Amino acid sequence: MTLADQLAAYLSRTWGEPVAVRDLHRIPGGASRETYRFDAEAGGRTRPLILRRDPTGSLLDTDRQVEFLAYRTAHSRLPVPEAVALEPDGAELERPFFIMERIDGGQAASPFAAEPFGAHAAAIGDAFFTALGTLAALDAEGTPLGRASRAPAPGDCWRVALDEWAAVIDRDEDHPQPIVRAAIRRLASRPPPPPARVAIVHGDYRSGNVLHDGGGRLLAVLDWEMAHLGDPLEDLGWALDPLWDHGEPGRACGMVPRAEAVALWEGASGLRADPAALAWWTLFSAVKGRAIWTTAAREYRAGGCVDPVLGISGWYVARRHDEILAELLEGFAAA
Amino acid sequence: MTPTLPEILRGNFACLATPAPPEAAGDHLAANVSVIALLNLLGAQEAEQGAAAVLAENAAIEQVLAEDAADYDASALTNDQGSPDARNAELRRALIRLHETAEARGDRALDRRILRLYRVMAEGRRLVLPPMPAG
Repeated sequence: MTLADQLAAYLSRTWGEPVAVRDLHRIPGGASRETYRFDAEAGGRTRPLILRRDPTGSLLDTDRQVEFLAYRTAHSRLPVPEAVALEPDGAELERPFFIMERIDGGQAASPFAAEPFGAHAAAIGDAFFTALGTLAALDAEGTPLGRASRAPAPGDCWRVALDEWAAVIDRDEDHPQPIVRAAIRRLASRPPPPPARVAIVHGDYRSGNVLHDGGGRLLAVLDWEMAHLGDPLEDLGWALDPLWDHGEPGRACGMVPRAEAVALWEGASGLRADPAALAWWTLFSAVKGRAIWTTAAREYRAGGCVDPVLGISGWYVARRHDEILAELLEGFAAA
Repeated sequence: MTPTLPEILRGNFACLATPAPPEAAGDHLAANVSVIALLNLLGAQEAEQGAAAVLAENAAIEQVLAEDAADYDASALTNDQGSPDARNAELRRALIRLHETAEARGDRALDRRILRLYRVMAEGRRLVLPPMPAG
């Protein structure tokens, strides 16, 4: 039975009518979930949909229910597709999955692409950092994600985040990493001030996780698998990581100058990005990245080295983050 | 440790030699081929510079450790004559201990020296990505 057959069987059962699955294709990227686009035809109607299925090996061990609830939370507040169905036990598809609406006509920037937004970089940057500020301004209480998540105390946000990713390095490291170890110690010894409020954190907010129309319009914010409650500066620090600058140092996500990105975020969130706190979350982001790439290297080997996305993540990207960490560490120490 | 060059090259072969299921053909396969091409390009850099980079890093760490021999347990270093990577792991562990000692003691000069070494180490392992079209 092909995946298309399994999907048709699942939808026919749950929708209570015969469903035909057409044009099922796997989408590039998505190292933490297998992502497919397809059309579901039923009762003379065609629905464009996306399937997100757990892989056998993954960059991230995340809860698909959290991701599903994050989509439900952000839909209608931000340009985010509607989540349609969740099957934590896998049902006919054998592995956990969820289905959401598909937004057609969008482009996603490869992290390796130079100038992916061309002449529309400023317009995309405006929309991108304004959307992130809008997320930071959202009251999580009463939202689907807020109801299902435990909010850390404001003063504990940094510790929860740092402990989580330091533990990933402890678990997956197979060669000593003095640079990231030094960053972890430095962050632990100099905590940031607590946030003004605990907010919904996307967890992987960067240029490659949004769709744009090629003309300066933001169409969708995707990949919510690391969403959680925490310090909203965590997302800003991640988005400002030099890893995502598309070869243009100082240009946040290859869109706008860093200072402009911060100003846009502050304007939309109503929060102030305290420079010391932002410096902490920027260094933290490089630690988090290094942890993710460490896991990628482990999964690459465990899977027989056949997934080139895991390979380049655990190799080139890991080394790039070591460079970023080493540079940030010197500045953090001198501050 | 990041994947080795033999792992990368064998993995690239295995990926290309394994038939993709129908739903993974098309864009997904094309993207994988593109990443494999990138891996091969970076692999050429690693083949040219990787072995020398490990030896240079080992020498740079040894120099800092030698300058501050009184600050770490030198007996923990076994003067391993095994592979450069095994030696590198041992030296990196010693460097971590030395840095922790410097931090505990508030030795800012040694801290700065080690932070500079980190930059040298990271730059020594750099792989250079060519500008890629936005496509």
